[in-house]
Amino acid sequence: MLGFLRPARGSQLEDLKALSLFADLSVRELKIVQGVLHEREYLAGEVIFDEGEQGNSLYIVRTGRVRICRKGRPDSPIAELGAGSFFGDLALLDSAPRAAQARALEASTLAVFFGSDFLALLETESKLSNKILLQLSRHLGRRLRGSVLGQRAEQHL
Amino acid sequence: MTDAGDTRSVEPAANRPGPVAWAGIFAATCLLLVALNHILWLVIPALMALVLSYMLEPPMRRLMYAGVGREGASAIVTSVFLVLLMAATLALLTWAGARAEDWQAGVERYLRGGAALLERTLAALEARWPAFARANLAASVTTWLSEYSNTFLERQVQPLAVSILAWLPAALLGPFFAFFFLRDGRRFHGFIARAVPNAYFEKTLALLHEMHQTGRSYFTGLVKLTVVDTLALGIGLWALGLPGAWLLALIAAVFAWVPYVGSIAGCLLVVLVAATDFPHDPAIAYWAIMLFILVRLLDDFVFMPATIGKNLRLHPLVSVLMLFVGGAVAGVPGLALVLPLLGVTMVVGAALSEILTDGRLWARHAYARRLRAAQDAADLA
Repeated sequence: MLGFLRPARGSQLEDLKALSLFADLSVRELKIVQGVLHEREYLAGEVIFDEGEQGNSLYIVRTGRVRICRKGRPDSPIAELGAGSFFGDLALLDSAPRAAQARALEASTLAVFFGSDFLALLETESKLSNKILLQLSRHLGRRLRGSVLGQRAEQHL
Repeated sequence: MTDAGDTRSVEPAANRPGPVAWAGIFAATCLLLVALNHILWLVIPALMALVLSYMLEPPMRRLMYAGVGREGASAIVTSVFLVLLMAATLALLTWAGARAEDWQAGVERYLRGGAALLERTLAALEARWPAFARANLAASVTTWLSEYSNTFLERQVQPLAVSILAWLPAALLGPFFAFFFLRDGRRFHGFIARAVPNAYFEKTLALLHEMHQTGRSYFTGLVKLTVVDTLALGIGLWALGLPGAWLLALIAAVFAWVPYVGSIAGCLLVVLVAATDFPHDPAIAYWAIMLFILVRLLDDFVFMPATIGKNLRLHPLVSVLMLFVGGAVAGVPGLALVLPLLGVTMVVGAALSEILTDGRLWARHAYARRLRAAQDAADLA
């Protein structure tokens, strides 16, 4: 019942460090990020978010696989993401509705980065948030190049 | 590839609650006021702790930014605050104790001064308008005031003093609660979020954030408003030549935390001082009343919308109506609590209204439950 008093473990920090979004963070910065992330578990087939839904969080795949597809077209996926990938990143930048549906392909554990928490970090931890923004920008750049050059999206993750 | 293609910056959909939701919001606010009125011994320290945690959070974050852990940072800021509070309390008690007898004589002097101003004002009114003289206005008011003041001590002051003494130990819980709010608030936030099903998770995070922002905006706005009111009243009272203008302005600004009743009490205090210190110049007291009316108008139309009202987003009619309801339901505590409570119940009501009317969320949750049931029964067939 008092699980919220449980402190962060070292292995959790190592898992975070392995994620592309937090690759450049120091141990202290990882602890701060660890404090604001939420962990959720999804069953195979469970919808994570819907197309058109108001998005406010970025999701990071810790274990499992996630399919990104248009609503009503699950057989034509836009991308399939494995451990270490992240999606829903634009929710950190604006409040546009989700442009696609995300669904767990198998039992998955996702770390959730709430947009308002990231904005709070921008104010109080500018160095940390700049590092995250840099990784985010690189990811968006790769995605943009992929769209322009017409290559498959997962090759750029 | 995620959220690709649509790069428009779209404003969030206007999910304003409908009339049924508003009815629920008002009912919930009234019920909460009634309930909280019975546990004021807990509400007061909890509110103090909340305000303290909002004020101490920025220095705590500075310490965390410098590398201090959350536990250490919260302990440091709370300890420093407690030390400063104890020092200030000790200094105040020493100073006040040395002047206790002067104060008692001073209170009686100011009350006599106020009574004299009232008599002069009523006599002037009777002289100017004979209708008041025929109605014996001065005699009636003086008699009523005399009867009221004779029993004022037993009916108002003694119960108030007993309540304050009863609440004092609970008020000491404020810093204690504030420490834990600062240290464990984030973890408790995550604890609540973990209890929510996946389908409602993002909406719950948004709701918790909105609630936190509403409370923080209200109380930090209240502090800013107090500073602005103190400045406005202080400048005016200093210009009028009242002794202790800035102290009076500060006291009146703090009294104004209780809507309307507090402002009137503050004005009364200043009028008593003006009437006593300028017995031959009643115009000073009248100018002080005009000053309070002017600051009240500035509060309602300029200062409050720029501080508190900006984030509560309350319609002025709703604010006034709920103040009357709060006063009727829970007296003075109701007046003080109704607006922040309404702000929070509004946020919760809007979120609940959105969740309960979103069939897709219900469907996703039901589907997830079926998946879990199928998983749990996988090897039972």
